[in-house]
Amino acid sequence: MDRRVVITAASAVTPIGNSKQKIVHSLQNGVSGVLPLRHDDLLADYLHCRVFGTVQEPIEYGFERKYRKTMGPVSYYACHVVGQLLEQSGLSREFVSSGRLGVAFGSTHGSPSVQRHIYKALYHQEKGVSGSLGAVDYLKSMVHTTAVNITKMFEITGRVICSSTACTTSSQSIGYGYEMVKYGMQDAMVCGGADEYDTTTVAVFDNLLACSTAYNDRPGQTPRPFDDDRDGLVVAEGAGAVLLEEYEAARKRGAPILGEVIGFSCNNNGGDLIFPNLDGITRTIQLGLESAGIGPEAMDFISAHATGTKMGDVIEARAIEQVFGNSPMVTGLKGYTGHTMASCGVIETIMTLYMMENGFVAPTLHLENIDSRCTGIGHVTQLKDKAIDIASVQNFAFGGVNTSLVLKVPAL
Amino acid sequence: MSSSRQDIEAEIYRIFREQFEIEDPGPDEDLREVHGFDSIDAIELLMEIEKLFQVEMDQETKKEALSYIRTINGICDYIEQVLPDADARVSEAVNR
Repeated sequence: MDRRVVITAASAVTPIGNSKQKIVHSLQNGVSGVLPLRHDDLLADYLHCRVFGTVQEPIEYGFERKYRKTMGPVSYYACHVVGQLLEQSGLSREFVSSGRLGVAFGSTHGSPSVQRHIYKALYHQEKGVSGSLGAVDYLKSMVHTTAVNITKMFEITGRVICSSTACTTSSQSIGYGYEMVKYGMQDAMVCGGADEYDTTTVAVFDNLLACSTAYNDRPGQTPRPFDDDRDGLVVAEGAGAVLLEEYEAARKRGAPILGEVIGFSCNNNGGDLIFPNLDGITRTIQLGLESAGIGPEAMDFISAHATGTKMGDVIEARAIEQVFGNSPMVTGLKGYTGHTMASCGVIETIMTLYMMENGFVAPTLHLENIDSRCTGIGHVTQLKDKAIDIASVQNFAFGGVNTSLVLKVPAL
Repeated sequence: MSSSRQDIEAEIYRIFREQFEIEDPGPDEDLREVHGFDSIDAIELLMEIEKLFQVEMDQETKKEALSYIRTINGICDYIEQVLPDADARVSEAVNR
């Protein structure tokens, strides 16, 4: 069985807006979602990096306690975007609970704020009654907390996939969801990822000298993918979800088709867990094209992973040049949001779908002077009125995991 | 009803209101059936009771307690049964 797979609904919470209208406006007007790092009682005061891609639009959740009791902040985001997604989809309750709809959803490491609470209890001076763990702390914090809180709230009974591969978490969610539907294991999949506001992730990259630190007094000027003056990534929060459906079923029920997933690849560098690897990334891109059954000349647009680190952007630019030359337009969307970690793949997919739908290509924000080592590819430095027919979304993660998703405006 | 039983009941109602967002359940109402109070809630309630009375129940006592956590009256009965000095403890808790 080999079926076509289409995206029929999308929803996101991002530092540059939570609605399609707001996100498109931000992309077209160069709005950054990076703000000063909020004070906390743990790490914020000790970090070199003092900026964070911050969700700014208030969200009214309205979840009942029976759902809230097993949710940390990361699951609030996850359930919010999936609630909007299912409402948008118009899928019947019968189908949602039929076992033919599955969930592929993940986060970097569950809920760090709940984990922080657990550690506080464990190291409490007076152990016992007042320092004990809550009955639901694990359910709130565990690595698959987003996926299963989604299944609980929306009574989804199909397969559960919970990728947790840092920056490729949600691109894997979409890729593995695509394969589930393509090969007939499920008829539809809710796919995505989420990460909550978290200073421990900033500390991880800060320690590795990978965070931006030179723009602490001008948060809206960083990160700067491919720019000569980039100085590292900016950690961010966010969530996103897309609904993948088998094409014929989606067409039959009259669902709006936002895009078609025509290819997915995932590989590993098979070596270093941190440094980007030119061969590994190049191979992922080639495998993505093979999976889609297209040549490099067919690609119109690439959403680059482009975190704004010194080496990562160079390696990615070289890989794109090797495979595509300078023909496709290339944008690093993290210039707007910062690095939304587990949700970056799905958020960048959704932004790409919005650009496909609205006939424009957003430039890489803050790309003023292209690093000479990042040249040779089709950088977008100005807003373009240009149609995208085929696009790829590239993401790479710690651990040497690489993914490439290939999307197409469907020929109806 | 003795005044201490009333105090215990008042504290249990307070916990239900504040921790479980369940307002004034009937004393013999089935908490699971009527209010969706499940096994996780029951374990959380035991933790709240431990905090309230400043005691630590052993695992066996807690397992046994789960069968009593069906109604408000059942919970209060159990507290009186396993904590003979519940009267003193609850007035201490109220005044804390």
